[in-house]
Amino acid sequence: MKIKYLLDEEEIPKKWYNVAADMPTPLDPPLHPGTLKPLCAADMEMIFPKALIQQEMSTERWIDIPEEVRDIYRLWRPTPLYRAAALEKALQTPAKIYYKYEGVSPAGSHKPNTAVPQAYYNMKEGIERLATETGAGQWGSALALATCLFGLKCTVYMVRSSFDSKPYRKSAMRVWGADCFASPSDKTNFGRKILAEMPDTPGSLGIAISEAVEDAASHGDTNYALGSVLNHVLIHQSVEGLELKKQFDLADDYPDVMFGCCGGGSNFPGMIFPFIPDKMKDKKDLRMVACEPTACPTLTKGLFAYDFGDTAGMAPVIKMYTLGHDFIPPGIHAGGLRYHGDAPLLCNLVHDGLIEATALQQTEVFEAATLFARSEGIIPAPEAAHAIKPAIDEARRCKKTGEAKTIFISLSGHGHFDLAAYDAYNDGKLVDYEYPADLVKQSLAKLPKV
Amino acid sequence: MAARVGKIGFLINPIAGMGGAVGLKGTDGLAGQALARGAKPQAPERAMVCLHLLSREADGFVFFTASGEMGGRALSECGLHYQVVYEAPQGSGSQDTKAACRAFLENGVDLILFCGGDGTARDVASIAGQAPILGIPAGVKMHSGVFAISPQAAAELALGFARGDLKARETEIVDVDEELYRAGELQTKLYAVARTPYQPVLVQERKRIYVSGNEEEFKDQIALFASEFMRDGSAYILGAGTTTARIAELLQVEKTLLGVDVVQNGKLIQKDASERDLLALLDREKSVKIIVSPIGAQGFILGRGSQQISAAVLRSVGEENLIIVSTPHKLAELPQLLVDTGDEQMDRIMAGKRLVVTGYRIAQRKETVAASALHDI
Repeated sequence: MKIKYLLDEEEIPKKWYNVAADMPTPLDPPLHPGTLKPLCAADMEMIFPKALIQQEMSTERWIDIPEEVRDIYRLWRPTPLYRAAALEKALQTPAKIYYKYEGVSPAGSHKPNTAVPQAYYNMKEGIERLATETGAGQWGSALALATCLFGLKCTVYMVRSSFDSKPYRKSAMRVWGADCFASPSDKTNFGRKILAEMPDTPGSLGIAISEAVEDAASHGDTNYALGSVLNHVLIHQSVEGLELKKQFDLADDYPDVMFGCCGGGSNFPGMIFPFIPDKMKDKKDLRMVACEPTACPTLTKGLFAYDFGDTAGMAPVIKMYTLGHDFIPPGIHAGGLRYHGDAPLLCNLVHDGLIEATALQQTEVFEAATLFARSEGIIPAPEAAHAIKPAIDEARRCKKTGEAKTIFISLSGHGHFDLAAYDAYNDGKLVDYEYPADLVKQSLAKLPKV
Repeated sequence: MAARVGKIGFLINPIAGMGGAVGLKGTDGLAGQALARGAKPQAPERAMVCLHLLSREADGFVFFTASGEMGGRALSECGLHYQVVYEAPQGSGSQDTKAACRAFLENGVDLILFCGGDGTARDVASIAGQAPILGIPAGVKMHSGVFAISPQAAAELALGFARGDLKARETEIVDVDEELYRAGELQTKLYAVARTPYQPVLVQERKRIYVSGNEEEFKDQIALFASEFMRDGSAYILGAGTTTARIAELLQVEKTLLGVDVVQNGKLIQKDASERDLLALLDREKSVKIIVSPIGAQGFILGRGSQQISAAVLRSVGEENLIIVSTPHKLAELPQLLVDTGDEQMDRIMAGKRLVVTGYRIAQRKETVAASALHDI
């Protein structure tokens, strides 16, 4: 049985795909956090380069990938598509399981797919430093890598719980020349305010975003970069799905169901959006499932509404599924999935019923990841493992029904920086968090109308 | 395997536990008041649950006991061989417990098995010295480490010890410091160290009271979240403990630390409620919910500390309206949550993976087990 489906370097896509061109329902515009009026390009120029703002607002289906960006993509792209033959055997399933592995990038995840073009466009427009936040450290290390390749400086605000539990992520950022601070930090006004109120907080992506935006907005030579949620991030990540379609052609197969982990939205939409036109035309049965933690179940339990993208209320107000910008999710090991909202493009498609969502407990996720590691060899990042668990469940269902479904797992990164989390799992110390949705609903029911 | 020949001293504190259901924080010196409030003696009944189990396998045992309601009657009803070594007067008290224990020691018992609460444990331990003691739980407060988690578990432990399968370990006899408690602070005080038969899970860990800055922050988070969801107009029965006390503090209502209070729309509507008060409340209110937290290292959410929240109250409120809150620290140290409402059917309904609020909009699932079911795990 063929295990790896590999593409030649020349098959790295030359254009990104923009799902905004194919949305059944157009996006509601992002609003200015101060005026609550639709955001205009000029509002964003304080923290983003013009080229990215243009992409952010674009509804063009195809966007050219600059040659300088493709040249760096060559370091690890195209990424391999694997047939998970050993896992199929372990599960004794008639289902066919595939996974596309983004852990082969230098930073160990899919994040450089957008970090590289973001650093490139900022460099082209004369920016000298980028400020950003990072949850699990994957985005921070990807941006550290990308800025270093284009000669920019980089400041990373890393969510405290990850900063403490993954010390080697910051070591990697340091090797690539970036400065990394635990967030909330004493470097920004907002960080100092949070520290005064909650000295022991594990931090959150929302807080770290506020710090990075404040840093960028208050320094002329500095811009801000975000690793998920925004339209231009999802556009860049489409290289994954575009490659994947070619690889499924090579395998002479097509997925029945696709699973990907989802925090703010980057790997999952990047992998599946190129399949959306198929689903809308002739592949109506294709299921695409976003996998999130029960501790932060944005798509499964959140409200579809306008909310701030960050904790301080400095980032644009966007229409998305949200658990509230003041919600600080518990410190789960899949730090990259601790975000109160989700990408508006993704949320719209979930709301329109084209994409499904499911929520998973930490313990079951690590159990599935261990089975995967013991059959396929790769130790998955805890985030990526959220996609493995429901895929295994689906394969087990196939065993019962005898169906030979084609199941796809988006394996966004490796777990080499997450071994402390695996130790916690093996020592029986993982806690299964849950979002008390009914009590939250009850608490919101009688809120005074603002 | 048959039990080897063993000598067991056995006594019951007949009034233990009577104060609980009627809102008293213990029964010592208050038995008359408890009776007047309609309390029924429950210690003899709980002791007999244990004795019945013992009677099936205790051919080799010799029981030494006090007369009448302090032990003789229960042993006789369970068909066990016994010898009365202390004549108990009517209305026996603390001095009689101690005198009976002295008589047991003179007869060279291998184990003192007693039925009562923390007060009884203090009396027994003050005499026992190195002789192992084991408590059948029947009191209002049972914070000491000598109590089995249920009468059934007490039988298991006594048999295991008699067979030589189990060893004794040292544990603390603690009780709530009443002076501090009157000042509104829940703190246990160490009264003695005793030896007790030990098997993990079957004996209550000594109740711990946690103090750390970090944990306090979580209590604040829980209180903030509770203050938000309590705006729904329901009457909220607030159980005992420091976590529920923090909710009351945030709402600026005065909380009875070891008792049960009722809050509605941010106002205290019933202070230190008894079971009867709660049933009356349920008669007149449409929507009633309960907030409880696990008591110390025991993990009891129902039964210990808040006996006013009885099986009848729970049934009327509905298990879906029981909200459990706990700091993650406390939860991490508990193997499971325990319920012991005195009603096996209710305990079974309560068992399973329960949602526990551990922070602001944060919860965990925790295995909840009927204490009476644990003896055969």
